[in-house]
Amino acid sequence: MKIDLKNLTIQKAHESLKKGDFTAVELTQAYLNEIASKNKDINAYLEVFADVIEQAKKADQKIAEARKSKSDFSLLCGIPCGIKDNILIQGRIASSASKLLEDYHATYDATVIKKLKEQGVVFLGRLNMDEFAMGGSTENSAFGVTKNPHDLSRVAGGSSGGSAAAVAMQGALFTLGSDTGGSIRQPASFCGVVGLKPTYGAVSRYGVMAMGSSLDQIGPIANTVKDCETIFDVIKGKDIKDGTTISSDTYSTKMVGNKKPIIGVPKDFLKGDGIDKAVLEAFNKSLEDFKTKGYEIKDISLPNISYSLMVYYVLMPAEVSSNMARFDGVKYGLHKDGKTVIEDYFETRRAGFGKEVIRRILLGTYVLSSGYYDAYYNRANAVRVMITNDFLKAFESVDIIATPTAPSPAFKIGEKTNDPVAMYLEDIFTVTANLTGLAAVSLPCGIAEKDGKQLPIGLQLTARHGDEKTLFGAGKDFLGEN
Amino acid sequence: MITTQELDNLANLARIKLTDDDKKSLIKEFDSILTYVDQLKKVKVSLDTEGRVGAVKNVARPDKVVSTSAADREGLLNEAPDREADFIAVKKMIEQ
Repeated sequence: MKIDLKNLTIQKAHESLKKGDFTAVELTQAYLNEIASKNKDINAYLEVFADVIEQAKKADQKIAEARKSKSDFSLLCGIPCGIKDNILIQGRIASSASKLLEDYHATYDATVIKKLKEQGVVFLGRLNMDEFAMGGSTENSAFGVTKNPHDLSRVAGGSSGGSAAAVAMQGALFTLGSDTGGSIRQPASFCGVVGLKPTYGAVSRYGVMAMGSSLDQIGPIANTVKDCETIFDVIKGKDIKDGTTISSDTYSTKMVGNKKPIIGVPKDFLKGDGIDKAVLEAFNKSLEDFKTKGYEIKDISLPNISYSLMVYYVLMPAEVSSNMARFDGVKYGLHKDGKTVIEDYFETRRAGFGKEVIRRILLGTYVLSSGYYDAYYNRANAVRVMITNDFLKAFESVDIIATPTAPSPAFKIGEKTNDPVAMYLEDIFTVTANLTGLAAVSLPCGIAEKDGKQLPIGLQLTARHGDEKTLFGAGKDFLGEN
Repeated sequence: MITTQELDNLANLARIKLTDDDKKSLIKEFDSILTYVDQLKKVKVSLDTEGRVGAVKNVARPDKVVSTSAADREGLLNEAPDREADFIAVKKMIEQ
């Protein structure tokens, strides 16, 4: 049976597996065929695991047992997925798309992986990314860029470019990515799929390579909001192994009841010519769509939001410089010899890290160094709290804050590589959710026509801490999912 | 804005060897990035603000030894670039 991957959802796949329309092996093979024909051009997958069919066979066994005992099998049993290369799966290579970890084999499972394994998912392979999650285009991968399935001359976005492209090219039914400043939402936006960055602490970071520990979150990328909700419900939860995780009652979510959530728009932040015309058009049309569906749209003010990118590019490199210190060529990964122990570090790190990683480590070292600590790090921390308070104040009168996900659709490969600040400006709408820890989702909301190609545009919705439910409701409404 | 000497100091602190070409491009990039983030100086802040992310509070685990299984230990040691028996080997650090 030819499986319609384009219109497949987790629920539909589960029902077909239940009815026997196809087996987990057949479903997995369908994805493997897509990967075989498309991955050489797109480069979403760094590795397709050799034992994928074996995994699918095990899932089919579980399904057969459930059928025999007339019981149900888990929703995710037999569902093929891809995993970003910075998430550890025991025994498999996890390289964070870096030469430093090219041959590193994970020695344990990340908590999110453990949870997915319990459900019986099929792990298809590991997905390309910007090296150590640093970048907005996947051009910083040590193993080649991931191309946008909608236009191979353009980037898939980053840093979870492989994760977004894999879903968009029907190379997985869902993927996991990581988001520190927009790395799930921006590539989801560029590739025309749905990407969720959960509330900080909602999903355990245990077993995920840390980039910015107060900013990172793991999240799902899929074709529908419902699928993202399904994955989120599986991977979320307090974890004794990650002291920053929250439980379901950490935040009391405001009960909206039967009324539709109120959507706030920071109008002042959407002025200026940094935003692509097609993006603004699609954004405004999206607001109109919400209005006809009965949502109230309000203007809101976020007085300090224009400083968020600057805050991010001080705090994030600071945390990066600390988190990257573990890579010294001693315990794991690449080792390059110097004349002394300390020289080993200098040689190993220069050889293993790419340009952007080195740039951010040095920037972080600078803002944390004595003489500059107050001027940069302390100051940025204080402004971070001010920005968070702006959002909390706005949430006294609205339930969702809407902006475009990115100021442009996918840009051309190589277009921004010579200007780091130009690349950083792509994060302008996404970093706030990481700085504040709020939940945010990117939804496909329109198309920009460039050079005869149709490039997806993303709409970003941000909600209160712990209020993913409101995002899922509004998202399903917006995309017409019933 | 940033001098070569300052960059050398940073590279030393970060334990990353930089070539002259590396330094040339980094100085330029640093200047454009610092010019951008320097705009933060315009904001009126209280530098005593305690950092936080939502309701997350700092926690510590009990000060107890958690044992590692033999299998886990083996897996960890296997990843070391230079392993000797149950040790990770490094160059001599202390002069006789």
